[in-house]
Amino acid sequence: MEAKDLYIKPGNQERGWNDPPQFSYGLQTAAQGAPKRTPLNKRVPPPQLTGSPCPVPGDFPSATAPMTPPTNPLAPPCSMNTPPRPCPVAAPPLGGVMATPPPPFPVVEHTDSASSQSENEPDVDDVVTLLNWALTACRHTVKKQVCNDVAKRLKLFEDMWKSGKLSLPVRRRMIGLVQELKSCNWDAADEIHRALIVDHVNEVGQWMVGVKRLIAETRNLNPDLLHTQEVDQSLDTSSAGNSD
Amino acid sequence: MRGVEWRKRVAMATYQEFIQQNEDRDGVRFSWNLWPSSRLEATRLVVPVSCLFTPLKERPDLPPVQYEPVLCSRANCKAVLNPLCQVDYRAKIWACNFCFQRNPFPPSYAGISDVNQPAELMPQFSTIEYIVQRGPPNPLIFLYVVDTCLEEEDLQALKESLQMSLSLLPPNALVGLITFGRMVQVHELSCEGIAKSYVFRGTKELSSKQIQEMLGLTNPSASGPQGRPAAPQDPAVTCRFLQPVHKVDMNLTDLLGELQRDPWPVPQGKRPLRSTGIALSIAVGLLEGTFPNTGARVMMFMGGPPTQGPGMVVGDELKTPIRSWHDITKDNARHLKKATKYYDALANRAAVNGHSIDIYACALDQTGLLEMKCLSNLTGGHIAMGDSFNTSLFKQTFQRVFSKDHNGEFRMAFGGTLEVSTSRELKVSGAIGPCVSLKAKGPCISENEVGVGGTTQWKICSLSPSTTLALYFEVVNQHNAPIPQGGRGAVQFVTQYQHSNTQRRIRVTTVARNWADAQSQIQHIESSFDQEASAVIMARLGVFRAESEEGPDVLRWLDRQLIRLCQKFGQFNKDDPTSFKLSESLSLYPQFMFHLRRSPFLQVFNNSPDECSYYRHHFVRQDLTQSLIMIQPILYSYSFHGPPEPVLLDSGSILPDRILLMDTFFQLVIYHGETIAQWRKAGYQEQPEYENFKHLLVAPVDDAQEILQTRFPMPRYIDTEHGGSQARFLLSKVNPSQTHNNLYSWGQETGAPILTDDVSLQVFMDHLKKLAVSSAA
Repeated sequence: MEAKDLYIKPGNQERGWNDPPQFSYGLQTAAQGAPKRTPLNKRVPPPQLTGSPCPVPGDFPSATAPMTPPTNPLAPPCSMNTPPRPCPVAAPPLGGVMATPPPPFPVVEHTDSASSQSENEPDVDDVVTLLNWALTACRHTVKKQVCNDVAKRLKLFEDMWKSGKLSLPVRRRMIGLVQELKSCNWDAADEIHRALIVDHVNEVGQWMVGVKRLIAETRNLNPDLLHTQEVDQSLDTSSAGNSD
Repeated sequence: MRGVEWRKRVAMATYQEFIQQNEDRDGVRFSWNLWPSSRLEATRLVVPVSCLFTPLKERPDLPPVQYEPVLCSRANCKAVLNPLCQVDYRAKIWACNFCFQRNPFPPSYAGISDVNQPAELMPQFSTIEYIVQRGPPNPLIFLYVVDTCLEEEDLQALKESLQMSLSLLPPNALVGLITFGRMVQVHELSCEGIAKSYVFRGTKELSSKQIQEMLGLTNPSASGPQGRPAAPQDPAVTCRFLQPVHKVDMNLTDLLGELQRDPWPVPQGKRPLRSTGIALSIAVGLLEGTFPNTGARVMMFMGGPPTQGPGMVVGDELKTPIRSWHDITKDNARHLKKATKYYDALANRAAVNGHSIDIYACALDQTGLLEMKCLSNLTGGHIAMGDSFNTSLFKQTFQRVFSKDHNGEFRMAFGGTLEVSTSRELKVSGAIGPCVSLKAKGPCISENEVGVGGTTQWKICSLSPSTTLALYFEVVNQHNAPIPQGGRGAVQFVTQYQHSNTQRRIRVTTVARNWADAQSQIQHIESSFDQEASAVIMARLGVFRAESEEGPDVLRWLDRQLIRLCQKFGQFNKDDPTSFKLSESLSLYPQFMFHLRRSPFLQVFNNSPDECSYYRHHFVRQDLTQSLIMIQPILYSYSFHGPPEPVLLDSGSILPDRILLMDTFFQLVIYHGETIAQWRKAGYQEQPEYENFKHLLVAPVDDAQEILQTRFPMPRYIDTEHGGSQARFLLSKVNPSQTHNNLYSWGQETGAPILTDDVSLQVFMDHLKKLAVSSAA
């Protein structure tokens, strides 16, 4: 899972009041089972009962150390006035490198345009070739109807890509998926498909189930079937070729 | 500090550790960790001996064992071998610690010795899990029941979520689809050919048998001489409506994609005709007939209230609004009793079969959760409540139903049963949580029923690692009877369930606590008090009572218990309120009660009946930490004056140069004080020399995000500031409510000591102290 795939989008404030932000699949799965960084579970007894004048101080989760109170009531305390401390914001603010506060998750608007070009623009033919390689292998044992159904969806995927309807993250991650498929890393490929359908269901919803099925059927194949003559031919005939 | 105070503080610190260790290991929190040895003394302690128990608490360090548990051979005992049992390794005999029966070990234990103990005898395995596979594993079943009377945007979003969920289901699960609007359609999920569906009228009530016949699930031509239907050999093959997802995912994806809005036109001034009642009855009947006693989830998605057929909650005329609290108190809710009874019957049928029902309700107005809540409450199913299916709140809450643990296994579990055994001095009064009674008879059952009582066995059809029951016990030893030999009482919890990987498992937790003579050891008993657990335990009792009693009666009862507790354990001089003190083990308890009284669980008039049902649904099933948050929201303060710290949930904590993060469980509120808000508006955080301010702004957001990432259900997220309209979420929690509806202005009875409603914490505490120290009370 690349860092780009760990993101948060704002909620849909038009349809739901105070709709919470939406976490990408990668962020959600990363959080599961991970211990809480800052458990917020402390309370303060009312002073009337304990006889103590001030509440018991709580946990100190975040890394902010004490600072001098602001002298200028119109502005927050300026970093330059603070005594030196372990916290990263030290001396003159000359655009120096800030060491890490708790890892900020960039809030990214999903604005990657479908037709944006980058220097690593994935080629659809690479992806389609690999998918067809797997499908060809499946045709030996998997029912014809199922294979045709998968083929139909792969075609839809290809058409959507070529007509610029798929965003860059989807295209990029599909490349990753087929690489895993080629390397027979079935679980990894499956996980990418899951992440894609959770994060981009409106783009991939119609055809992704074909990819899902393809992974599921291919992993059950006799490994020999993955390297029959016709299958390897279908790999060789791709114009872009794939370096191993 | 006086010697007694110091000893109490040390004792309490030790008990804190003890309490935490026990919770971490066994998922149990008792109200008292030293038990009063007589019934009379137990009642004088006010808070009953009771516990919160999380049957499937996540234990990443606990490897399950692959053999069957060893049971006591006495017919009405059947307790499981555990570390409290006496063992004679030479004679290969063990003595049950509950009934003292001597049992021989099974032959497979021939090799045990005191240096070669089986795991279940080791103290560190007070909680242990057995994998027991008897017969072929049953697949899990997910039956989607989908309302098509939705706005186009909502239907599209829901369809996409459902398509997405096919990728999240366990791979071998069976899946089914029922759609409804004016009619109810049961879709056949075949792998080939034209999609067929069976259509039912949304108004006609059918019996389970009729439903099964109409769906062709019984084969009259193949029936025997008595006319009984032939049993299907392999339900997975023969049931066209519930098929393995890995076979039908493509077809189902297309089917979902092609779903249209209910075609029946909705005239001006009318609601769509929604036959929710019949749809659910068909779902329950379908599962009953094909997969009784297998883990199954009915997942119902609805965008509005049921408006026709049995179980209707409101008519189709928009000018007749759905019932409000006002209507209910004036006995003006036409459909309420009948609808509640209808869904209650369905819920019980589903529970008997081990099937759970989830409700995902997304609409701007109420949808009938008040009438339908038993469907989820009795079966352990979820209720999610949102404004629209096209919101992050719904989408992520729904995704999290399928969340996995650190091992990559689904958290959801099915078909749970819990059985409790106790040593002779204790009996079981009942349980409060998402369960139904199995009505088992036994020697440990108390006549005093609390919650779901009259049994020591309950069914929890669907459970998660956070599902928590409150269990109430009664000490039955007579006053002045000697302390039982061995000095400890014991409780054993045996939970059988179906793991999401379809294995059947049994988790056994056995705990013990010392008996103490309340006359001579009251201070020790006091130090063993778990105020957090007790607050939740009493709160669940209060909420349970509130479902059947009048609201003011419950508040009076709660107040009475609190005053009695303060009278018993407070240190004070008679009639001198200013002298009143509570030890640390009780110091947070009155505050919990103060906030509980003001909470939406007991103050229903600030929320709709549906909202109240929703809040209560989550309250009576969550673990201790989350339940406490619901009772008394967490409030943390972020400022330049020091590290983030918890502060009193009081208006005095709102200061201009502070950011407050409040967690109510259902909402996360970040409130910027006046000065902070001005700085933010001026944009100081963008300037490099004010990087510290940027960090300050980000700190509560990061902490909130950590909560947002994992909580189920997804909470609302409110970013507000001094003077902002959304600040009311914070202000209503910290201040006495100005809009409190005094419909029931009680306090008019003479003699009964009561606490004044609707005041600040300060005033509440003053009243409490006055009443506790009064010699007239």
